[in-house]
Amino acid sequence: MSWLWRGFRPILESVLAGLIGLGAGALIMRAWGYHPWSAYVVLFKESFGSGYGLASALANATPLILTALTFAIGARAGLFIIGAEGMMYMGAMGAVALSLFKLPAGIHALLALLCAAAAGILWGLIPALLRAYRGVHEVISTIMFNWLSHFLAFYLVANVLVDPVRAEKTLSVAKTSRLPLLMRGTDLSLGIVVAGFFALLLYVFLWHTVIGYEARAAGANPHAARYGGVSPQKTVLLVFALGGAVAGLAGAVEVMGRPPTYAVYSGLTNIAGFGFDGIGVAMIGRIHPLGIIPAAVFYGGLQAGARLMQMEAGVPFEMVRAVQGAIVLALALPELTRILKVFGRRLKVRREQA
Amino acid sequence: MKRFLLASLVLAVLSMPVLAGRVALILDVGGRGDLSFNDMGFKGTEEACADFGWEMVEIQSATSADYLPNIRNAARTGKFDLIICVGFLLADALSEVAPEFPNQKFAIIDAVVSHPNVLSIVFEEQEGSALVGALAGMLAAEYGYPYVGVVLGIEIPVLYHFEGGYRFGIDWGLKKYEEVTGKKADVGLLWVYTGTFSDIAKGKAAAEAQLEQGAVAVYNVAGPLGIGILEAVTAKLAKEGREAGPPFMIGVDANQDWMGDGNKVVASMMKRVDVGCYTAIKMVHEGTFQGGVLSLGLKNKGVAISRYQDLLDFIDFGIKAGAITEADRERIIENWKAMREAIPQWIWQAVDELEVKILSGEIVVPKPETREEMLAVRAEYPLTR
Repeated sequence: MSWLWRGFRPILESVLAGLIGLGAGALIMRAWGYHPWSAYVVLFKESFGSGYGLASALANATPLILTALTFAIGARAGLFIIGAEGMMYMGAMGAVALSLFKLPAGIHALLALLCAAAAGILWGLIPALLRAYRGVHEVISTIMFNWLSHFLAFYLVANVLVDPVRAEKTLSVAKTSRLPLLMRGTDLSLGIVVAGFFALLLYVFLWHTVIGYEARAAGANPHAARYGGVSPQKTVLLVFALGGAVAGLAGAVEVMGRPPTYAVYSGLTNIAGFGFDGIGVAMIGRIHPLGIIPAAVFYGGLQAGARLMQMEAGVPFEMVRAVQGAIVLALALPELTRILKVFGRRLKVRREQA
Repeated sequence: MKRFLLASLVLAVLSMPVLAGRVALILDVGGRGDLSFNDMGFKGTEEACADFGWEMVEIQSATSADYLPNIRNAARTGKFDLIICVGFLLADALSEVAPEFPNQKFAIIDAVVSHPNVLSIVFEEQEGSALVGALAGMLAAEYGYPYVGVVLGIEIPVLYHFEGGYRFGIDWGLKKYEEVTGKKADVGLLWVYTGTFSDIAKGKAAAEAQLEQGAVAVYNVAGPLGIGILEAVTAKLAKEGREAGPPFMIGVDANQDWMGDGNKVVASMMKRVDVGCYTAIKMVHEGTFQGGVLSLGLKNKGVAISRYQDLLDFIDFGIKAGAITEADRERIIENWKAMREAIPQWIWQAVDELEVKILSGEIVVPKPETREEMLAVRAEYPLTR
């Protein structure tokens, strides 16, 4: 029965954490004189209670699944990759850049996705090499690379890929390179299939291939893994490459699949944040590729329903965000404490060795 | 106290008039609290709601990917007699949604969306910018400053109106100075597009650089960045041991003259987003709403250079926003009067003269719409030293 408990315990924990989060959110609203019950009714009715709401939730989940995968695969291999944000910007730039070329439909989209994945991988290459061969901690380097990417993307949007008649955005992705909508009158595009596919792929990689097993072994106990013949360099490079590819795709599916503009806005205002939100989603999904899917859909649903909380329940935007924050934080806590515990244990071992 | 509150609440509910209509106000990522564009939209909508017995629901956007779902959601509810989109950034999303809901009335500020159910409200920013440009140019020449400055947001066509008008106005002001004083003015323009409407620190850094080079005034064409520009002006003045400008800031969108204690913002180019929102609601309320373009310029008070009455109105606005308190009112008014009176009278008369000439059509201010047209205006008024 212990295997059953192992499988159910994280789900039980998450449900409990979610309820605590909802309760905390309700208290916040109550304290400021808003009606939590009607707000939550709107929140869930408009996110999961209608076809349109569900489509919105899935559309919001699309890039988050991919950026969450970046963090999850890193964390499984003992790496704290905070760099999905920067990789995602580069992916979006790559997808837009490919629109400068004229290609037949279908092939064009495929190449744009490939280009975005490649851009994400390239962006992770230097932190990966620094980590593998020089021991530079990836938290530091990937955060620094996020800023480099931020300003490079700023420059590209304003100068290189800029729409000559609409200076507030880049050129729009060519029609031949867009991901078709799955439902008319919604934001839901084929991107969700791409995201789901990669979640599945990374699950298979981590749990059903030798090399994936080695990566997880390196994460669980780096010393034992090395003793067992796993090359830490190879693992770091591979994990970074996979993480970079999916993060790059996150940027791509957003610009190629999200109506109406199919472009990156100046200031990156329509893509900024997916990389960081992905970390939260990965925590909620217990850094498991399959757990990430429902976590992202839930997160996306919160965002979709939150829009209506302003409209229908009259809860102001700042309050909505505070409530969202409470729920997300509570949901992320179980995984966060686990990761911190592992981290602390490793620090202790290192100190004792020194 | 509690009982009194309760009683007044009951009274308020009882005396509430029948709801005449509902309006959704959809804001871009800039959001409320900018004491400028978005807050003005809110102000106009609030005033119209008070006047016509309407109810407002305000919808902010977390990212620009929210625009489309926010507008669509508002239309889907079917509860709104009018949906106002504040800002050109929402134009693409509205173009998508407007045809999906042909019976829903929409208005958009600062952009043209051509659908029969959309009222597009645009402004003649170049006219007001020419006035503050003339003022800045004459101030620089009069006080012996080498430059006038402007800090702009993202390089978008709407901002070309500001830049084009400002350049034209500075040039006009310098010519006027030569005409009045018989002296030659050697004044250049420092201008920068910061690429942001939200990063206040960038506005401050850009303004600091311009003030350091000797700009007499920095025109804020970047909404919330004005807060940073004002900080830079205040710091510069403090360094010189003074409280009142020059150097000054020139405010934008709202009347920002009251900011900085009333003696650091020499004037504001008011773009009355509030008038736009108010007008749209009024039209729906009176049944005269129809799709099309409504252009608001100097003529119909859509843009204006700030005057005394505007100061009084917007001190109330600032108090309401919590930026200042009632105790500041008298001091700000005194400071403002002293600041304006310290400036030679002929300069204010010249600004009025330019306004009259624009209103009569004798002077037509350039209105660049594209990058090419902007480059042509820059070439015509290079304003380098």
